[in-house]
Amino acid sequence: MKRLFIILLLFMTTPLLLGSSYNYSFYGDVIHSAPGMTFATYFNAQTLETPLGSPEYFVVYNNDIYMIDSERGLFVIDETFKLKSHHDSFELSEAYKEKTGQTEALTLKTPFGLDVKPQGIYLADSGNARIIRLNFDFKVEAVYSNPQDPTFESVAFFPIKITVEKTGRMYVISRQVYEGIVELSESGEFNRFTGVNPLRLTPLEIFRRSMMTEVQLAKLRRFLPTEYTSVSINENSFIYATSKPTDNNVSNTIQLINPKGVDVIKRNGYHGVQGEIHYIENMNNYVINGPSMLVDIDYTKGGIFSVLDQKRSRIFTYDSEGNLLYINGDEGQQSDKFKQAVAIGYHGDDLIVLDRGSKTFIVYRLTEFGTLVNQAVAFHDDGRFEEAHDIWIELLKKNANYEIAYNGIGKHLLREGKYKEAMANFKLGHDKYYYSKAFKEYRNNILRANFGYIFAGVIVVVAGSIGLVIYKKRKKGESLLYED
Amino acid sequence: MKTKLKKLYFNIIKFPSYIIFHPFDGYDELKRYKKGKPWVATLFIMLFAFFRIFVYVNESIIINNRNPHNLNTIQEIFTVLLLIFLFVIGNWSITTLMEGKGNMKEIFMVTGYSLFPVLIIGFPAVILSNYLTKEEMGIYTLLMGSGYALTGIMLFFGILNIHEYGLLKTILTFLFTVVAMLFMIFLGLLFFDLIQQFIAFIISIYDELRLRY
Repeated sequence: MKRLFIILLLFMTTPLLLGSSYNYSFYGDVIHSAPGMTFATYFNAQTLETPLGSPEYFVVYNNDIYMIDSERGLFVIDETFKLKSHHDSFELSEAYKEKTGQTEALTLKTPFGLDVKPQGIYLADSGNARIIRLNFDFKVEAVYSNPQDPTFESVAFFPIKITVEKTGRMYVISRQVYEGIVELSESGEFNRFTGVNPLRLTPLEIFRRSMMTEVQLAKLRRFLPTEYTSVSINENSFIYATSKPTDNNVSNTIQLINPKGVDVIKRNGYHGVQGEIHYIENMNNYVINGPSMLVDIDYTKGGIFSVLDQKRSRIFTYDSEGNLLYINGDEGQQSDKFKQAVAIGYHGDDLIVLDRGSKTFIVYRLTEFGTLVNQAVAFHDDGRFEEAHDIWIELLKKNANYEIAYNGIGKHLLREGKYKEAMANFKLGHDKYYYSKAFKEYRNNILRANFGYIFAGVIVVVAGSIGLVIYKKRKKGESLLYED
Repeated sequence: MKTKLKKLYFNIIKFPSYIIFHPFDGYDELKRYKKGKPWVATLFIMLFAFFRIFVYVNESIIINNRNPHNLNTIQEIFTVLLLIFLFVIGNWSITTLMEGKGNMKEIFMVTGYSLFPVLIIGFPAVILSNYLTKEEMGIYTLLMGSGYALTGIMLFFGILNIHEYGLLKTILTFLFTVVAMLFMIFLGLLFFDLIQQFIAFIISIYDELRLRY
């Protein structure tokens, strides 16, 4: 009876399990995919045994989760998802007391962002327009406010997200600042703006604007670079950033900004690195329209990074080449789904999603498929193509729709010198660049092996055609050397 | 047999290539000495429809981004036929008003003959593309580009010659032909829409009567 019940249950839940596991094929079709991650567990105000106000953001540091709540301050959660400590006002450290002469503890006002690095805990105290650096005893070490730049004469400094480089340089997103990410030195002085979203006008737009008067231009909707929504710096000081999509930067919403301030993300995948590929453009009351609204980004080993689409409650995971590895996440009210996600973070290999609406952390764990994908990508990143090759073959057994696996196989075969097999794999994986490389080697090998025959053939053809001319002229009785 | 083959060779290869290099003399002979054959034009149009399918399937995968599952041969053939039909009708209606000397048969022949460069260059180029690497693909694009450019030139001089127009008037005719083609498409859509509505109207009347009695 029990077994029957289980079997029945399995049938009933099949459509649920199939869920939203999809991927995009080379031709842009939506195809089924094995899920890369599945729901593992969750924790929220009840399991933490503390009320939560409005959770905004979290980071993972040394397996501890530091979460900022815009109403209730800073929470620290340990790796077993139990509450470690909660702080809403911060004592001043001795050094800071001496330096400034202040004694009063600091409180937060609608903080939105934080970052934790070995130097300390950085809180973006948005309402008070300042950044607070705490040590790991939760004592205030420094306060940074009032960056000196003409921009902040017209717009108030309102830090919403912060990420800190290993040298202590701070990268801050300030609300309604369109110049880019604010870079502050380790002593809190304004350095520069970095990673500006480029704006491009179409020729038609430029022409239209040149015909307008000043008054008309003033009335026109302003063309502004988009605001960034999240930043996260990696150990090489490259900043992963997401921004809001607008009409002209949909393909630019995810960036990898190098220390020079240039976007260097690789877009070698089948489609752009932008979250959802297909979406409905127009206003529509029945489905969610428009491109993905990416609100957070986090990275893990092997150059893999994930972005969170708040609009459709989905997580897109890419590798360092820009290949879309897997998509997961689902919108809903159940405990394994989320509705108003605001932050994601890698906790070991697990991915944690923070839902502001239900004040819940949802933990996603890699499936067998996802683990293998991450492994293969990591091997590939290390240049260990042979190990990666074996895993890609294994992956194709688990998910025959997984086109990028063929490219992984092909790259190993190419290095082995098996050009023909490599070509077949690149053809299936639609990697034109490597197909061309393999084909070039294959063609040159054939040419080299048969060079004698080819050269002989050319000589025969040339000699034959000359002979034919001579023969024809002879037959007609004409002279060979000159025409008469 | 030999003379027949020779004649075929002349009609399909020699005369069209003569037109490419001597457009004025060539089209003059086509018009005045009846050297152009409607069946050759028809053959070229059919071959062009086939060529489009051929490109779709056989172009080197290095530059071919088309999904083979989406190939619709009927659609490809009808696209070509519709375009030729619209162009011939559109051009004829414009040139009749603009004192063109050519008749519809000649316009059709010019259109068909002008596809010759695309076919003669295109088929070998597509086969060649399979033996090129990504860096060498420029050769293929150049070949295809020159094929289409030659077709454009042939069509232009053809229309110029058979109607006995000047340069400016020919350009004007082409512009008007495009307008005429768009107009015909519009009329066609309008016609089908109205017919559809009319049929729906009849059906609803029939339903009304059937349900009442």
